Amino acid sequence: MREVAIIGAGQSKFGVFIDRGAKELFVEAFEEALSSVDNGIESREIQEIYVGNLGVGGGQLGNFASMIADYAGLAGIPAVRIENACASSGFAFRAAVLAVQSGTCDIAVAGGIEKMNDLPRERLRYWLGVSGDTEWERLAGMTFAGVYALMAVRHMHQYGTKREHLGMVAVKNHKNGADNPKAHFQRTITLEQALNSAMVAYPLTLFDCCPITDGASAAIVCRADLARKYTDTPIYVLGHGASTDRLGLFEREDFTALAATTMAAEQAYKMAKIQPKDVNLAETHDCFTIAEIMACEDLRFCKKGEGGKLIESGQTQIGGRIPVNPSGGLKSKGHPIGATGTGQVYEIFKQLRGQVVKPSRQVSGAEIGLTHNVGGSGGTAVVHILSVGEKK
Amino acid sequence: MNSGVVGYGAYIPRFRIKWDEYVKAWGSFSPRGVEEKAVAGLDEDVVTMAVESSVGALKCAGIGSNQLNGMFFASTSALYAEKLSSSTIVASLDGPSEIFLADLGFSTKAGTAALLSCLDFVSSGRGDLGLVGASDMSQAMPSDSVEHGLGAGSASFVIGRNDLVANVEGAYCSSLEIIGERYRRHGERFLKDSGIGAYTEQAFNQALTISVTGLLTNLGLNAEEFAYAIFQQFDGRTAYDIGRKLGFKDRQISPSMTVTKIGDSGSASPLIGLCAVLDIARPGDRILVASYGSGSGSDAISLVATGQLVERRNKAPMVESYLTQKEYIDYLTYLKFRRMLGA
Amino acid sequence: MAYISIPTYWKTLPQRYSLIGSRCKSCGTINFPPRDICIGCGKKAEYETIRLKGQGKIYSYTIICAGGAPPEFSEQERLGGSFGVAVIELEEGPRIVAQMTDCKPSELGIDMKVEAVFRRLYEDDDVIRYGIKFRPIRAQGLNAETRPHGVFL
Repeated sequence: MREVAIIGAGQSKFGVFIDRGAKELFVEAFEEALSSVDNGIESREIQEIYVGNLGVGGGQLGNFASMIADYAGLAGIPAVRIENACASSGFAFRAAVLAVQSGTCDIAVAGGIEKMNDLPRERLRYWLGVSGDTEWERLAGMTFAGVYALMAVRHMHQYGTKREHLGMVAVKNHKNGADNPKAHFQRTITLEQALNSAMVAYPLTLFDCCPITDGASAAIVCRADLARKYTDTPIYVLGHGASTDRLGLFEREDFTALAATTMAAEQAYKMAKIQPKDVNLAETHDCFTIAEIMACEDLRFCKKGEGGKLIESGQTQIGGRIPVNPSGGLKSKGHPIGATGTGQVYEIFKQLRGQVVKPSRQVSGAEIGLTHNVGGSGGTAVVHILSVGEKK
Repeated sequence: MNSGVVGYGAYIPRFRIKWDEYVKAWGSFSPRGVEEKAVAGLDEDVVTMAVESSVGALKCAGIGSNQLNGMFFASTSALYAEKLSSSTIVASLDGPSEIFLADLGFSTKAGTAALLSCLDFVSSGRGDLGLVGASDMSQAMPSDSVEHGLGAGSASFVIGRNDLVANVEGAYCSSLEIIGERYRRHGERFLKDSGIGAYTEQAFNQALTISVTGLLTNLGLNAEEFAYAIFQQFDGRTAYDIGRKLGFKDRQISPSMTVTKIGDSGSASPLIGLCAVLDIARPGDRILVASYGSGSGSDAISLVATGQLVERRNKAPMVESYLTQKEYIDYLTYLKFRRMLGA
Repeated sequence: MAYISIPTYWKTLPQRYSLIGSRCKSCGTINFPPRDICIGCGKKAEYETIRLKGQGKIYSYTIICAGGAPPEFSEQERLGGSFGVAVIELEEGPRIVAQMTDCKPSELGIDMKVEAVFRRLYEDDDVIRYGIKFRPIRAQGLNAETRPHGVFL
């Protein structure tokens, strides 16, 4: 299997855009990805395109990839839409990496897009519930927040995690997002605000939940031995892993971990030949604050059950032992469902190359970064390990 | 009649609204003698109520739903004008797919009509065991005084030929064409009544006099020979008024007067009263049940409690336990629960 | 408006109305809802039906407030306020997820004993969708044995 590197990445601003649709947002991200290639690249050099998209709103559900390729000036190459709920573009990235690793092509683009803000509330709520177990969980009265709330209640019961720990995750991620010009929310919040905001699904309040965001992202991957033609600082894909778990939370043994994450991380660490402690920063899937607490345990940044202690220690802040979600995470940067995965790749790409715009957000001296992207309540998960240096 | 009651059960929803909430809202509370009434929750309807009372009846009877050969369901507030409610109830009880179903309605007399039809169904040999369910939660315009007394509840009976908890001695029915007394047109959600007290009273008296005196004459019985007399209950007084006219004492009537706590439960009303009486009756007690339906008349039935009643009635929740399981709501919550405010 | 098709709903009425589980003849695991491939042994095995009693205790729960309810239940939340949803560990083993009813959300807690009741869930295109919810088991009334108790026991 050949090695793969990222030579460029781009992301649209994440936020609410009434005047721009999926196609326009993708082109914004794709154009930035192209121009981020230091030595230049023509779009006709792209050989395959994989786009992640859930299809919220039900716009172009059939042949979405063809529409995107066409609009981006890429018609004529293989194009595929990948849907794994919130992990769509994480899996799109994996697919692009695999295409290059397998020798099917030399250069591919992986990206993601989601438009969520052009729907009336009721319609949107339908889409927010489709990625869990629709027949049983949704008809029991829950959207996502409800399913993650069930996990939070067990985590609090089994490990003594407190609502304050959840709030601390929101505070940290808002602090990071405040310095990210591409973030949906760019304002800090206090722990009091987090704790006192409206309850959505006990114990999760409004500030424990990621927003409804529009946005797009893209990353260009190529054969590692070709990368130096395009840039002096390619970012290598050291390893990746992916897995699934029972779709319905109620059919899982343990509500306090996402088995799909644990298994994906195992595979990624093994492939990259590294230990969790070798990771210098991570973009984890904090669709809800409890998800980040659990992710740190599942990715083995701390012991099982100690996710609350970890956030309390401050070690996951920028400047700490293992900065988590320096971009602001899904919580503050936003969560355009299909675009989040490659958005995480974009952040790590910029961080590892020292190209973060605001110095306060730049993690210094980082060599290895990790992206962690989950679909829905953990039905799917994918982990990528990215590095400044090539595999040893 | 060779068929009778093998088991019985009632269901009353948890929520209650007190008469003084109406006084706060409207300045008065119409039905005499009603202290509070039952209110179905947002997730309840006549079908869900009947499911729970039917479960109780099956437990009391000690039979499985797979043994039922027929179901007769009665309601004046079923949600479908076309689609059986009895099929949903039978399905939820995991009942058989070979079963006779008949849904009755159109009058608060439908409960006893369902009971008599089921008794005939079993008596004729067309079925060995049948289930009767009467369930109601009628609605009227909030500004209409007839709305004040409308409550909710359900009663179910298993009918068979053996192991009876109550024998049925006989029945006598009256039919009257009463126009405009209490009625609801197709497609209308809210029932109306004539608002003419004397007209209602006369119709009620006439119908019940025919059915009850007819029954007593036919069976050669006097009012004193009944331990209990159960009448259709619109409010807390009318049953006593008619009862006295027909020769019954208040003490024969009061044990069945659940209306004071649950309001007018429509077609279920006399049958919930019957359940309350069966909860306390002694073997050999004779029981009168007389319904009334506007525009339709009255069914009067005489039952006699058997020895098996005493042990079997402990197998399912009694009316008293539903009466004591309650949570009070205010008038605004009441309007929301009854979907009278657009949502 | 959300859509679970009529045939999809209808196919699972035995589960939704009557808590009919499927016990795998190979490994004994009770599959609820039923699956072609047994959730226990992973085989395409044969099943015998078993009617679950509807008695259990809460394994986890949450309280759905405004904004957390799917469109099927937004009318219920607007009119009836916040409601509980729980994962219930049934006596026979399977865990199921269902709404709580006839209780204040503040009453909910892990390990609380609950029982199944047949209730109306929502309406779609004027077709009423019924299903199972759970309520706390409350011992009360004059006689503890005569408390209102489980629909399916």
